[in-house]
Amino acid sequence: MIEVDSLSKVFTDKKRGEVRAVDGVSFTATPGEIFGLLGPNGAGKTTLIRMLATILEPTAGTARIQGHDIRTEPEKVRASIGYLTGSAGLYERLTAREMLEYFGALYGLPPAETKRRIDSLISELEMGEFANGRCDKLSTGQRQRVSIARSLLHQPPVLFFDEPTSGLDVVAARTVVRFIKRCRDEGRTVVFSTHIMSEVEALCDRIAVVYQGKIAAIGTLAELRARTGATTFETVFLRLIGQDDEEEGEKGRL
Amino acid sequence: MKPWQIVFRKEFFEVFRDSRTLFNIIISPLLITPLILAVIGGMARRQVQDAQKAVVPVAAVGLDKAPRVAALFENATDDNLKVTEMTRADAEQAIAQRKVRAAFVVPENADKLLDEMTPVPVTLLLDQGSQSSQEAAERLKLVLNQKGQQLAVVRLSMRGLSPEVATPFTTTEKGIQGGASRGTLMLATFLPYIMALSAIMGGIYLANDSVAGEKERGTLETLLVTPASRRDLVLGKFLAVAAIALVSGSLSLIGLLWPFAIKLPAFSWMSESGLSLRPAAVAAMFLVQLPLAVLGAGLLLSISTFARNQKEAQSYLGPVILCASVAALLSMMIKAEAPLVWAFVPITNAALVLKQALEGVSNPAFVAAACAASVVYAAAAVAFATHLFQREAILLKA
Repeated sequence: MIEVDSLSKVFTDKKRGEVRAVDGVSFTATPGEIFGLLGPNGAGKTTLIRMLATILEPTAGTARIQGHDIRTEPEKVRASIGYLTGSAGLYERLTAREMLEYFGALYGLPPAETKRRIDSLISELEMGEFANGRCDKLSTGQRQRVSIARSLLHQPPVLFFDEPTSGLDVVAARTVVRFIKRCRDEGRTVVFSTHIMSEVEALCDRIAVVYQGKIAAIGTLAELRARTGATTFETVFLRLIGQDDEEEGEKGRL
Repeated sequence: MKPWQIVFRKEFFEVFRDSRTLFNIIISPLLITPLILAVIGGMARRQVQDAQKAVVPVAAVGLDKAPRVAALFENATDDNLKVTEMTRADAEQAIAQRKVRAAFVVPENADKLLDEMTPVPVTLLLDQGSQSSQEAAERLKLVLNQKGQQLAVVRLSMRGLSPEVATPFTTTEKGIQGGASRGTLMLATFLPYIMALSAIMGGIYLANDSVAGEKERGTLETLLVTPASRRDLVLGKFLAVAAIALVSGSLSLIGLLWPFAIKLPAFSWMSESGLSLRPAAVAAMFLVQLPLAVLGAGLLLSISTFARNQKEAQSYLGPVILCASVAALLSMMIKAEAPLVWAFVPITNAALVLKQALEGVSNPAFVAAACAASVVYAAAAVAFATHLFQREAILLKA
């Protein structure tokens, strides 16, 4: 369960002065739901997720993850979440198994339990062929599977995905999408951030359209369509952010 | 296991899987450094031997008017001198053109002065900007002194006096029991420099890799979302860098000492005069590395945290390496009995404590001040690294 209450983040930039990257964002995401954050690059999605993951400290407002406040209980929040980004790297000199053992230890799992969960994830994600190989020898798809295993190892009830398919080929991207669906089916709360509309349409139960640090609209795809009167999702999005100056058409990406 | 211990263990052992680390921390100090030392020492020794054997071309001015002085130089080749008579102007030109290296000028009344047993003023001409000219002038001075002593012996004999009359004192050198040997003195000159640098520099690769490298690879963010606190993360990384620096410093020490321990012939130029190390000196060698490694780890980790990526970290490292080198180099120029103020100069102070231990100089006040200053500097460096690690603007800039 995620409850976000008027969350804001202001950065001070030498050239631009004060930048409100996230401006009074509020929403709730429930277990068994994929909650999408859709917005163009620079809209504030990553900053919002980083605040929820306690990597960044909010300037104002707060949020509760599984009942833990991100400001006052950051360590409990981090223990409750899984986090996967498209730019997440691996420790090149460790094997996939060693890397998972490292994170298992950091999440406070007992060694025997860590081994059991790693074996299970290796089997589920079909990592058997490369689990004992060094990460610097893995393909992009294999690397992403290791990252997925890392984010699931401590069995978090809440998962954040920030552009998780960025830079992946179609096959690797499909593995990630399948994995996200599985998380929802297992009753986890999933926040999925992307600028790819087709992924939002295929995955998200509810969508928050993020633009210039604010949430322009929240609802199911059907609700958003009804609200804007548009049929294509691209037009829905553009109308919600007030940028609809073209005929409806399929572009796919923002 | 606590989170910082988990981070420390991973960082410390992972770095040994990197071939660059293996080369820089293990192979280079244990094999390459001793090899370079042996080659440099051998070359320096051969140069000295060659210089002693080489016949030096010099000019003589005024010998035609001083046949008795000229007679002294008839067999100059025995003294490794090739003497050519010429005028003063020609001699100066020949020195300038490097045809001869130096010249000596005897006055016209040199023979008369000899007869009167009055000192003959001999002028040495040399190019003061040329090392070989200075060496030739030194050789001339030595030969003239030897000739003068021979003449003095003849003069004393003619008066029925023993030559020993002219030598009221004879001196012999003998090292005291328990004192340091000449070999140890040589070791005390360059060992503090090498060890100070090794202890500071040993952690460069790991420090760069463990924060700037993690930012670059995108692993830092995954680490920041674990329940481990940032203090735990920075502590584990800091201790790993300090530990690697200690390993590097210790292996540098072992690399410098093993050739002497097994009496490797290539190191005889240094060990033939004896190499004795007191237990206190050996203990000091290992102990002074601790504050150096901690200071170095704090500095290196601060730079790595501040930088966007490893390339940027390396560019920031340039001035730091230069300062560390100068500070270490100072220990070669300052005597072991240094004034207390040097105890407050980072790196130099640790190197001087080591120098004192090697030379057997006991200065508890200096050691105490140096230790206290090193602890303060190291603590400041660690605090700064921790402070940077807490700042999200720095930690997440990429």
